[in-house]
Amino acid sequence: MILINYLKSTILSKFVMAVTGVILVLFVIGHCVGNLQVFLGKDAFNSYAYFLQERLGELLLIIRLGLIVAVVFHIITSVRLKFLNLGAKPTKYQVKNYVKARLTSRTMIWTGIMIFAFLTYHILHFTMGVVHPEDYNKTDYYVTNAVSVEKVDNSTLKDTEGSDECCAKGTATTAKESLIKYKGSMYKVEGDEPILSERHDAYAMVISGFQKPLVSILYIIGVIILGFHLNHAIQSAFQTLGYNNPKYFPKIIVGSTIISILLVICYISIPISILLGLVGGRL
Amino acid sequence: MRLKLFIWRQKNATDKGHMEKYQVDDVLEDMSFLEMLDVLNEKLILEGKEPVAFDHDCREGICGACSLTINGIPHGHEKATTTCQLHMRKFKDGDSIYIEPFRAKAFPVIKDLVVDRSAFERIMQAGGFISINTGNAIEANALPISKKNADLAMDAAQCIGCGACVAACPNGAAMLFVSAKVSQFALLPQGQPERKRRVLSMVGQMEKEGFGACTNFYECEAACPKQIPVRFIAMMNRDYLCSRVTEPVEA
Repeated sequence: MILINYLKSTILSKFVMAVTGVILVLFVIGHCVGNLQVFLGKDAFNSYAYFLQERLGELLLIIRLGLIVAVVFHIITSVRLKFLNLGAKPTKYQVKNYVKARLTSRTMIWTGIMIFAFLTYHILHFTMGVVHPEDYNKTDYYVTNAVSVEKVDNSTLKDTEGSDECCAKGTATTAKESLIKYKGSMYKVEGDEPILSERHDAYAMVISGFQKPLVSILYIIGVIILGFHLNHAIQSAFQTLGYNNPKYFPKIIVGSTIISILLVICYISIPISILLGLVGGRL
Repeated sequence: MRLKLFIWRQKNATDKGHMEKYQVDDVLEDMSFLEMLDVLNEKLILEGKEPVAFDHDCREGICGACSLTINGIPHGHEKATTTCQLHMRKFKDGDSIYIEPFRAKAFPVIKDLVVDRSAFERIMQAGGFISINTGNAIEANALPISKKNADLAMDAAQCIGCGACVAACPNGAAMLFVSAKVSQFALLPQGQPERKRRVLSMVGQMEKEGFGACTNFYECEAACPKQIPVRFIAMMNRDYLCSRVTEPVEA
């Protein structure tokens, strides 16, 4: 109970809203940058996904727990503040005109609830693979001890595509290296034999997920609502945490809008490109 | 000018209250909003009806007694103007005007358009002062204050405590009022000895009175007849957080 003692103070509650909000905004930005790697192709995206899922180890658990704690406190505090605020204004005006309050600031609790619903669906889909499991259960095979190389003289290679053997061996440029052709790409392998590994095919999951128009539309709507929320949220965090300087604050308000619009554009560019067949079209 | 008025009528604190329609015909453009209500009240008295109760005192925009939410905006749509300084030339002939009391749980309606704003007085009693031994004022040059801080403190001290910020806030929060009253002292050397205790006890009293929490709508800043900026709220948030971690709170 000592954990939620801060709820007795409205300013401390707002402080918790701002701090957890900042954590979540930083995650949203990082997640966006990570997701954009889908434009770099399957290899880049899958090795990024592998890095997050396998290489981070305990750190991933800590980050996930941190995010869950931030979300939980963000929600508890907002719901408590909403009820407090409704109680502080029991009689509404018959006629109400707003001067500075915008649609985005007046709908924070509603966009928040919608984002939570979207987030739940999004995690069930792409993180846990509960919804549309056919997207999730895909495996990507790749060569671990190799670097992808481009132009290689094809005549030096014995093409074994179609046979049981996964790879075709070429002439080695040094004693310790050999060239292989694997699934249409060239690799320079250290040692004689390529080591074949498996990893979760996050790229295929994203492509097949977003190739369903309904899933894409839901995602686009969810992200636009998130943008609405962030438009008010980012500048609001500065004000709550006590940074309001007459010179910079107007710029922070504009910056808040720019960041939220940019985030929306970056996020929705992924399902739109996939629907248009610009990314992963041949999958 | 001929005006259609929709006015909140409420017999007493326990009455449910309702909007009532009135027609006033002999309004002059040079009248203030309150003088227009005087005209209506004289007419009502002649008709043997109960006149509309509303708060007023100096009628020159400095006392903070007048209130009224006019067409959904406290003190009306005119920027940086109290109701008493709002003139009828800002309205058009034939306009419909909705007049309601300042709404908030902490501002209960006493009668018609009059609300009880004594919650503000109790916040002031909790710390809106400087404890100082009386005697001669010290020589002015003995206490240097930067021009920047002096100006900012004067901006904060402009607050007349009318409560428009609370009335405008969709959450009924009193943050703009309290932050102005806290900051006018926090910016000056005389306010330093009691600085932490002041912000903690004034904010504590504000919360006890049932005001809401700030969600940064900035409606208060827009409604404030003295144009107190929300910047003071950010300053008070900072002050409050620092004081909470460095000053033990009394339960």
